[in-house]
Amino acid sequence: MKIAVTGGKGGTGKSTVATSLAVEFANSKKTMLVDADVECPNDYLLLSAKRKKYSNVYQPIPKWDFKKCVKCGKCAFVCKQNAIVFVKDKFPAFVKDVCIGCKACIVACPNNAISETKKQIGTIYTGKNHNIDIITGELKLGELASGEVVASVREKSDEINKKLNSEIMIIDSAAGIGCPVIASLVGTDYIIGVTEPTPSALHDLKRVLYLANHFNIKHGIIINKFDLEKSFCSKIESYAKKNKIPIIGRIPYRKDFVDSTIKMKPVIEINPEYKEIFQNIIKTIKKEIIRI
Amino acid sequence: MKKTKIAISSTGNNLESEVDARFGRCSYFLIINVEDKKIKDFKAIENTAKAQMGGAGISAGEIVAKQKVDAIITINLGPRAFSIFDQFKIEIYHGEGKIKDVVQELIEGKLKKLSNATGPQHAGL
Repeated sequence: MKIAVTGGKGGTGKSTVATSLAVEFANSKKTMLVDADVECPNDYLLLSAKRKKYSNVYQPIPKWDFKKCVKCGKCAFVCKQNAIVFVKDKFPAFVKDVCIGCKACIVACPNNAISETKKQIGTIYTGKNHNIDIITGELKLGELASGEVVASVREKSDEINKKLNSEIMIIDSAAGIGCPVIASLVGTDYIIGVTEPTPSALHDLKRVLYLANHFNIKHGIIINKFDLEKSFCSKIESYAKKNKIPIIGRIPYRKDFVDSTIKMKPVIEINPEYKEIFQNIIKTIKKEIIRI
Repeated sequence: MKKTKIAISSTGNNLESEVDARFGRCSYFLIINVEDKKIKDFKAIENTAKAQMGGAGISAGEIVAKQKVDAIITINLGPRAFSIFDQFKIEIYHGEGKIKDVVQELIEGKLKKLSNATGPQHAGL
Protein backbone atom coordinates (compact mmCIF):
# COMPACT_ATOMS: atom_id res chain seq x y z
CA MET A 1 0.00 0.00 0.00
CA LYS A 2 1.42 3.35 -1.06
CA ILE A 3 0.40 6.45 0.87
CA ALA A 4 1.49 9.91 -0.25
CA VAL A 5 1.72 12.74 2.25
CA THR A 6 1.32 16.14 0.64
CA GLY A 7 -0.54 19.38 1.33
CA GLY A 8 0.37 22.24 -0.98
CA LYS A 9 1.59 24.88 1.44
CA GLY A 10 4.98 24.42 3.03
CA GLY A 11 5.36 24.11 6.79
CA THR A 12 1.99 22.53 7.46
CA GLY A 13 3.57 19.41 8.94
CA LYS A 14 3.93 16.97 6.06
CA SER A 15 7.20 15.49 7.31
CA THR A 16 5.97 15.35 10.91
CA VAL A 17 2.89 13.42 9.77
CA ALA A 18 4.86 11.19 7.37
CA THR A 19 7.48 10.22 9.95
CA SER A 20 4.94 9.77 12.77
CA LEU A 21 2.72 7.57 10.63
CA ALA A 22 5.75 5.56 9.53
CA VAL A 23 6.75 4.96 13.17
CA GLU A 24 3.22 3.80 14.01
CA PHE A 25 2.87 1.61 10.92
CA ALA A 26 6.25 0.02 11.62
CA ASN A 27 4.92 -1.38 14.91
CA SER A 28 2.84 -3.92 13.07
CA LYS A 29 3.94 -3.90 9.42
CA LYS A 30 7.15 -3.73 7.41
CA THR A 31 7.33 -0.06 6.51
CA MET A 32 9.29 2.04 4.06
CA LEU A 33 9.43 5.83 4.10
CA VAL A 34 10.32 7.56 0.85
CA ASP A 35 11.45 11.15 1.27
CA ALA A 36 10.49 12.71 -2.04
CA ASP A 37 11.03 16.30 -0.91
CA VAL A 38 14.28 16.27 -2.84
CA GLU A 39 15.02 19.96 -2.51
CA CYS A 40 15.07 19.70 1.25
CA PRO A 41 14.91 16.08 2.42
CA ASN A 42 14.96 15.84 6.20
CA ASP A 43 12.93 12.79 7.21
CA TYR A 44 16.21 10.98 7.92
CA LEU A 45 17.11 13.79 10.30
CA LEU A 46 13.73 13.73 12.04
CA LEU A 47 14.22 10.01 12.60
CA SER A 48 17.96 10.24 13.41
CA ALA A 49 18.83 7.76 10.68
CA LYS A 50 22.31 7.46 9.21
CA ARG A 51 22.12 7.40 5.45
CA LYS A 52 24.25 5.62 2.92
CA LYS A 53 24.58 6.49 -0.77
CA TYR A 54 22.62 4.10 -2.95
CA SER A 55 22.95 5.59 -6.44
CA ASN A 56 23.37 8.79 -8.44
CA VAL A 57 20.65 10.45 -10.50
CA TYR A 58 21.67 11.68 -13.92
CA GLN A 59 20.04 13.85 -16.52
CA PRO A 60 20.85 13.85 -20.24
CA ILE A 61 22.63 16.91 -21.64
CA PRO A 62 23.75 17.63 -25.20
CA LYS A 63 27.31 17.46 -26.50
CA TRP A 64 28.35 19.11 -29.76
CA ASP A 65 30.66 17.75 -32.42
CA PHE A 66 31.88 21.01 -33.93
CA LYS A 67 33.31 19.12 -36.91
CA LYS A 68 29.74 18.35 -37.94
CA CYS A 69 28.14 21.62 -36.74
CA VAL A 70 27.17 23.98 -39.58
CA LYS A 71 26.34 26.90 -37.23
CA CYS A 72 22.65 26.99 -38.24
CA GLY A 73 21.41 27.87 -34.73
CA LYS A 74 18.45 25.48 -34.76
CA CYS A 75 19.49 23.95 -31.43
CA ALA A 76 19.36 27.34 -29.72
CA PHE A 77 16.04 28.19 -31.40
CA VAL A 78 14.26 25.13 -29.97
CA CYS A 79 15.77 25.41 -26.47
CA LYS A 80 12.98 26.63 -24.22
CA GLN A 81 15.34 26.87 -21.24
CA ASN A 82 17.60 29.36 -23.01
CA ALA A 83 20.52 27.07 -22.21
CA ILE A 84 21.97 27.40 -25.71
CA VAL A 85 23.17 30.76 -27.00
CA PHE A 86 23.65 31.16 -30.72
CA VAL A 87 25.44 33.98 -32.48
CA LYS A 88 25.74 33.93 -36.27
CA ASP A 89 29.00 32.45 -37.59
CA LYS A 90 29.96 31.05 -34.19
CA PHE A 91 29.53 27.62 -32.65
CA PRO A 92 26.68 27.55 -30.11
CA ALA A 93 27.53 28.21 -26.46
CA PHE A 94 25.93 25.90 -23.88
CA VAL A 95 25.08 26.78 -20.27
CA LYS A 96 25.00 23.38 -18.60
CA ASP A 97 23.29 24.21 -15.32
CA VAL A 98 20.07 25.55 -16.86
CA CYS A 99 19.59 22.52 -19.13
CA ILE A 100 16.72 20.27 -18.02
CA GLY A 101 17.47 17.45 -20.45
CA CYS A 102 14.55 17.70 -22.88
CA LYS A 103 16.77 16.69 -25.83
CA ALA A 104 14.92 19.00 -28.27
CA CYS A 105 18.29 20.28 -29.55
CA ILE A 106 19.37 16.75 -30.45
CA VAL A 107 16.17 16.25 -32.46
CA ALA A 108 16.38 19.68 -34.11
CA CYS A 109 19.99 19.36 -35.31
CA PRO A 110 19.87 18.71 -39.09
CA ASN A 111 23.45 17.43 -39.15
CA ASN A 112 23.52 14.96 -36.25
CA ALA A 113 26.17 17.11 -34.64
CA ILE A 114 24.68 16.77 -31.15
CA SER A 115 24.99 13.60 -29.14
CA GLU A 116 23.84 12.77 -25.64
CA THR A 117 25.96 12.85 -22.53
CA LYS A 118 24.90 13.25 -18.90
CA LYS A 119 25.31 15.33 -15.79
CA GLN A 120 24.62 14.35 -12.19
CA ILE A 121 21.57 16.11 -10.76
CA GLY A 122 20.98 14.19 -7.56
CA THR A 123 21.69 11.31 -5.22
CA ILE A 124 19.60 8.53 -3.69
CA TYR A 125 20.36 7.45 -0.13
CA THR A 126 19.13 4.60 2.05
CA GLY A 127 18.98 4.40 5.81
CA LYS A 128 17.17 2.65 8.62
CA ASN A 129 15.96 3.56 12.09
CA HIS A 130 12.89 2.90 14.26
CA ASN A 131 12.44 -0.21 12.11
CA ILE A 132 11.67 1.96 9.05
CA ASP A 133 13.60 1.72 5.81
CA ILE A 134 14.16 5.30 4.71
CA ILE A 135 14.87 6.08 1.05
CA THR A 136 15.88 9.67 0.38
CA GLY A 137 16.26 11.55 -2.87
CA GLU A 138 18.35 14.70 -2.87
CA LEU A 139 18.66 17.24 -5.65
CA LYS A 140 22.16 18.56 -6.32
CA LEU A 141 22.58 22.18 -5.27
CA GLY A 142 21.70 24.60 -8.07
CA GLU A 143 20.01 21.98 -10.27
CA LEU A 144 16.47 22.50 -11.50
CA ALA A 145 14.97 19.15 -12.45
CA SER A 146 13.58 18.15 -9.04
CA GLY A 147 10.75 16.20 -10.70
CA GLU A 148 13.33 13.94 -12.34
CA VAL A 149 14.95 13.18 -8.99
CA VAL A 150 11.54 12.40 -7.45
CA ALA A 151 10.73 10.05 -10.35
CA SER A 152 14.08 8.40 -9.77
CA VAL A 153 13.64 8.00 -6.01
CA ARG A 154 10.21 6.46 -6.65
CA GLU A 155 11.70 4.05 -9.16
CA LYS A 156 14.58 3.10 -6.87
CA SER A 157 12.32 2.63 -3.85
CA ASP A 158 10.23 0.17 -5.88
CA GLU A 159 13.44 -1.58 -6.90
CA ILE A 160 14.68 -1.76 -3.31
CA ASN A 161 11.29 -2.92 -2.10
CA LYS A 162 11.42 -5.96 -4.37
CA LYS A 163 13.95 -7.32 -1.85
CA LEU A 164 12.50 -5.78 1.30
CA ASN A 165 8.83 -6.53 0.62
CA SER A 166 7.50 -3.69 2.74
CA GLU A 167 3.74 -3.72 3.00
CA ILE A 168 3.51 -0.02 3.65
CA MET A 169 5.28 2.65 1.62
CA ILE A 170 4.85 6.24 2.77
CA ILE A 171 5.88 8.92 0.29
CA ASP A 172 6.62 12.32 1.77
CA SER A 173 6.17 14.92 -0.98
CA ALA A 174 7.53 18.43 -1.37
CA ALA A 175 5.34 21.51 -0.97
CA GLY A 176 3.55 22.91 -4.01
CA ILE A 177 1.62 21.25 -6.81
CA GLY A 178 4.25 21.13 -9.57
CA CYS A 179 6.37 18.40 -11.20
CA PRO A 180 8.00 17.05 -8.02
CA VAL A 181 4.61 16.77 -6.28
CA ILE A 182 2.94 15.15 -9.29
CA ALA A 183 5.81 12.65 -9.44
CA SER A 184 5.23 11.90 -5.73
CA LEU A 185 1.48 11.34 -6.09
CA VAL A 186 1.26 9.16 -9.20
CA GLY A 187 0.68 5.48 -8.60
CA THR A 188 -0.22 5.80 -4.92
CA ASP A 189 -3.26 4.24 -3.24
CA TYR A 190 -4.06 7.07 -0.90
CA ILE A 191 -3.18 10.76 -0.60
CA ILE A 192 -3.08 12.62 2.70
CA GLY A 193 -3.42 16.39 2.45
CA VAL A 194 -1.83 17.92 5.54
CA THR A 195 -3.10 21.40 6.19
CA GLU A 196 -3.31 24.04 8.92
CA PRO A 197 -5.98 26.65 9.75
CA THR A 198 -4.60 29.49 7.65
CA PRO A 199 -6.02 30.99 4.43
CA SER A 200 -2.93 30.19 2.35
CA ALA A 201 -2.87 26.58 3.57
CA LEU A 202 -6.53 26.06 2.63
CA HIS A 203 -5.98 27.71 -0.75
CA ASP A 204 -3.05 25.40 -1.52
CA LEU A 205 -4.83 22.35 -0.10
CA LYS A 206 -7.68 22.87 -2.57
CA ARG A 207 -5.20 22.94 -5.43
CA VAL A 208 -3.31 19.83 -4.41
CA LEU A 209 -6.53 17.87 -3.76
CA TYR A 210 -7.76 18.95 -7.18
CA LEU A 211 -4.66 17.16 -8.42
CA ALA A 212 -5.52 14.07 -6.32
CA ASN A 213 -8.99 14.10 -7.82
CA HIS A 214 -7.55 14.42 -11.30
CA PHE A 215 -5.47 11.28 -10.77
CA ASN A 216 -8.52 9.57 -9.30
CA ILE A 217 -6.72 8.69 -6.07
CA LYS A 218 -8.62 8.50 -2.77
CA HIS A 219 -7.66 11.25 -0.38
CA GLY A 220 -8.28 12.68 3.05
CA ILE A 221 -7.33 15.72 5.09
CA ILE A 222 -5.31 16.01 8.26
CA ILE A 223 -5.72 19.36 10.00
CA ASN A 224 -2.49 20.05 11.81
CA LYS A 225 -2.38 22.71 14.55
CA PHE A 226 -6.20 22.60 14.40
CA ASP A 227 -6.64 24.38 17.76
CA LEU A 228 -4.55 27.34 16.65
CA GLU A 229 -7.47 29.10 14.99
CA LYS A 230 -10.74 27.26 15.57
CA SER A 231 -12.91 29.59 13.52
CA PHE A 232 -10.77 29.10 10.43
CA CYS A 233 -10.66 25.38 11.14
CA SER A 234 -14.41 25.29 10.57
CA LYS A 235 -13.84 26.75 7.10
CA ILE A 236 -11.62 23.78 6.25
CA GLU A 237 -14.28 21.47 7.69
CA SER A 238 -17.02 22.98 5.57
CA TYR A 239 -14.84 22.78 2.44
CA ALA A 240 -14.22 19.09 3.22
CA LYS A 241 -17.92 18.42 3.81
CA LYS A 242 -18.99 20.20 0.64
CA ASN A 243 -16.53 18.19 -1.44
CA LYS A 244 -17.12 14.94 0.46
CA ILE A 245 -13.47 14.66 1.51
CA PRO A 246 -13.01 12.92 4.87
CA ILE A 247 -11.05 14.62 7.61
CA ILE A 248 -8.95 11.73 8.84
CA GLY A 249 -7.22 13.44 11.71
CA ARG A 250 -6.73 16.53 13.83
CA ILE A 251 -3.38 17.28 15.42
CA PRO A 252 -3.09 19.88 18.17
CA TYR A 253 -0.55 22.68 18.24
CA ARG A 254 1.97 21.72 20.93
CA LYS A 255 5.55 22.40 21.86
CA ASP A 256 6.19 18.63 21.79
CA PHE A 257 6.46 18.84 18.02
CA VAL A 258 9.20 21.43 18.29
CA ASP A 259 11.02 19.24 20.83
CA SER A 260 10.63 16.28 18.49
CA THR A 261 12.40 18.22 15.74
CA ILE A 262 15.14 19.50 18.02
CA LYS A 263 15.82 16.11 19.59
CA MET A 264 15.49 14.35 16.22
CA LYS A 265 13.10 11.85 17.74
CA PRO A 266 9.55 10.84 16.71
CA VAL A 267 6.94 12.91 18.55
CA ILE A 268 5.40 9.82 20.15
CA GLU A 269 8.70 9.24 21.94
CA ILE A 270 8.55 12.77 23.31
CA ASN A 271 4.96 12.33 24.41
CA PRO A 272 3.15 8.96 24.00
CA GLU A 273 -0.15 10.82 24.15
CA TYR A 274 0.02 11.29 20.35
CA LYS A 275 0.17 7.57 19.71
CA GLU A 276 -3.59 7.39 19.77
CA ILE A 277 -4.00 10.23 17.25
CA PHE A 278 -1.74 8.53 14.71
CA GLN A 279 -3.19 5.08 15.38
CA ASN A 280 -6.65 6.48 14.69
CA ILE A 281 -5.43 8.08 11.48
CA ILE A 282 -4.05 4.72 10.35
CA LYS A 283 -7.36 3.00 11.18
CA THR A 284 -9.28 5.62 9.22
CA ILE A 285 -6.99 5.33 6.19
CA LYS A 286 -7.42 1.55 6.16
CA LYS A 287 -11.19 1.95 6.27
CA GLU A 288 -11.12 4.61 3.58
CA ILE A 289 -9.05 2.48 1.21
CA ILE A 290 -11.45 -0.46 1.48
CA ARG A 291 -14.50 1.81 1.05
CA ILE A 292 -15.72 2.01 -2.54
CA MET B 1 45.25 46.94 -31.05
CA LYS B 2 44.20 48.42 -34.36
CA LYS B 3 40.49 47.75 -34.60
CA THR B 4 38.59 46.50 -31.55
CA LYS B 5 34.92 46.35 -30.69
CA ILE B 6 34.11 46.40 -27.01
CA ALA B 7 30.97 46.21 -24.90
CA ILE B 8 30.70 47.88 -21.50
CA SER B 9 28.00 47.44 -18.86
CA SER B 10 26.86 51.01 -18.29
CA THR B 11 24.60 52.99 -15.99
CA GLY B 12 23.71 55.46 -18.79
CA ASN B 13 23.65 55.76 -22.55
CA ASN B 14 26.74 57.92 -23.20
CA LEU B 15 30.50 57.96 -22.67
CA GLU B 16 30.20 60.13 -19.55
CA SER B 17 28.25 57.35 -17.75
CA GLU B 18 29.80 55.07 -15.17
CA VAL B 19 30.53 51.37 -15.59
CA ASP B 20 27.59 49.45 -14.08
CA ALA B 21 28.72 47.07 -11.34
CA ARG B 22 26.38 44.34 -12.52
CA PHE B 23 26.81 42.81 -15.95
CA GLY B 24 23.54 40.87 -16.40
CA ARG B 25 21.33 43.54 -14.85
CA CYS B 26 23.00 46.75 -15.98
CA SER B 27 20.90 49.48 -17.63
CA TYR B 28 22.74 49.83 -20.93
CA PHE B 29 25.48 48.25 -22.94
CA LEU B 30 27.74 50.71 -24.71
CA ILE B 31 29.16 49.18 -27.86
CA ILE B 32 32.32 51.05 -28.70
CA ASN B 33 34.49 50.82 -31.81
CA VAL B 34 38.13 51.55 -31.08
CA GLU B 35 40.40 52.28 -34.02
CA ASP B 36 44.02 53.38 -33.90
CA LYS B 37 43.88 53.73 -30.14
CA LYS B 38 40.93 56.12 -30.26
CA ILE B 39 37.17 55.84 -29.78
CA LYS B 40 35.83 55.91 -33.34
CA ASP B 41 32.14 55.66 -32.59
CA PHE B 42 29.73 54.12 -30.12
CA LYS B 43 26.12 53.15 -29.65
CA ALA B 44 24.01 52.40 -26.59
CA ILE B 45 21.80 49.33 -26.40
CA GLU B 46 19.23 49.03 -23.68
CA ASN B 47 19.64 45.85 -21.61
CA THR B 48 16.28 44.15 -22.08
CA ALA B 49 17.38 41.37 -19.70
CA LYS B 50 17.66 43.82 -16.79
CA ALA B 51 14.32 43.02 -15.14
CA GLN B 52 14.15 39.37 -16.22
CA MET B 53 13.06 36.91 -13.52
CA GLY B 54 16.08 34.66 -13.92
CA GLY B 55 18.85 33.92 -16.38
CA ALA B 56 19.62 37.61 -16.96
CA GLY B 57 23.31 36.80 -17.39
CA ILE B 58 22.55 34.40 -20.24
CA SER B 59 20.23 36.83 -22.04
CA ALA B 60 22.58 39.76 -21.52
CA GLY B 61 25.45 37.61 -22.75
CA GLU B 62 23.48 36.82 -25.87
CA ILE B 63 22.70 40.51 -26.51
CA VAL B 64 26.36 41.40 -26.25
CA ALA B 65 27.71 38.41 -28.19
CA LYS B 66 25.35 39.21 -31.08
CA GLN B 67 27.15 42.56 -31.40
CA LYS B 68 30.28 40.60 -32.36
CA VAL B 69 32.43 42.30 -29.77
CA ASP B 70 36.02 41.25 -29.09
CA ALA B 71 36.08 42.27 -25.44
CA ILE B 72 33.87 43.21 -22.51
CA ILE B 73 34.46 45.59 -19.65
CA THR B 74 32.43 45.18 -16.49
CA ILE B 75 32.82 44.90 -12.72
CA ASN B 76 30.89 41.79 -11.74
CA LEU B 77 29.54 38.96 -13.81
CA GLY B 78 28.25 35.53 -12.89
CA PRO B 79 29.27 32.02 -13.95
CA ARG B 80 26.71 31.65 -16.72
CA ALA B 81 27.61 34.86 -18.54
CA PHE B 82 31.28 34.07 -17.99
CA SER B 83 30.86 30.62 -19.51
CA ILE B 84 29.17 32.06 -22.62
CA PHE B 85 31.96 34.57 -23.28
CA ASP B 86 34.56 31.92 -22.58
CA GLN B 87 32.98 29.65 -25.21
CA PHE B 88 32.72 32.51 -27.72
CA LYS B 89 36.33 33.48 -26.94
CA ILE B 90 35.38 37.03 -25.95
CA GLU B 91 37.80 38.57 -23.45
CA ILE B 92 36.52 40.05 -20.19
CA TYR B 93 38.19 42.98 -18.45
CA HIS B 94 37.60 44.58 -15.08
CA GLY B 95 37.15 48.33 -15.24
CA GLU B 96 35.60 50.91 -12.89
CA GLY B 97 34.72 54.56 -13.35
CA LYS B 98 33.69 56.77 -16.24
CA ILE B 99 33.26 54.83 -19.51
CA LYS B 100 35.46 57.29 -21.42
CA ASP B 101 38.34 56.83 -18.99
CA VAL B 102 37.93 53.08 -18.76
CA VAL B 103 38.18 52.72 -22.54
CA GLN B 104 41.38 54.77 -22.44
CA GLU B 105 42.74 52.47 -19.74
CA LEU B 106 41.96 49.45 -21.91
CA ILE B 107 43.73 51.05 -24.87
CA GLU B 108 46.76 51.65 -22.68
CA GLY B 109 46.67 48.03 -21.52
CA LYS B 110 46.02 48.96 -17.90
CA LEU B 111 42.89 46.85 -17.31
CA LYS B 112 43.01 43.48 -15.60
CA LYS B 113 41.64 40.51 -17.48
CA LEU B 114 39.08 38.37 -15.64
CA SER B 115 39.68 34.63 -15.81
CA ASN B 116 36.79 33.59 -13.57
CA ALA B 117 33.27 34.65 -12.71
CA THR B 118 33.36 37.26 -9.94
CA GLY B 119 30.51 35.82 -7.93
CA PRO B 120 27.78 33.21 -7.82
CA GLN B 121 24.71 33.25 -10.04
CA HIS B 122 21.84 35.51 -8.95
CA ALA B 123 24.32 37.84 -7.19
CA GLY B 124 23.04 40.75 -9.29
CA LEU B 125 19.44 40.38 -8.14
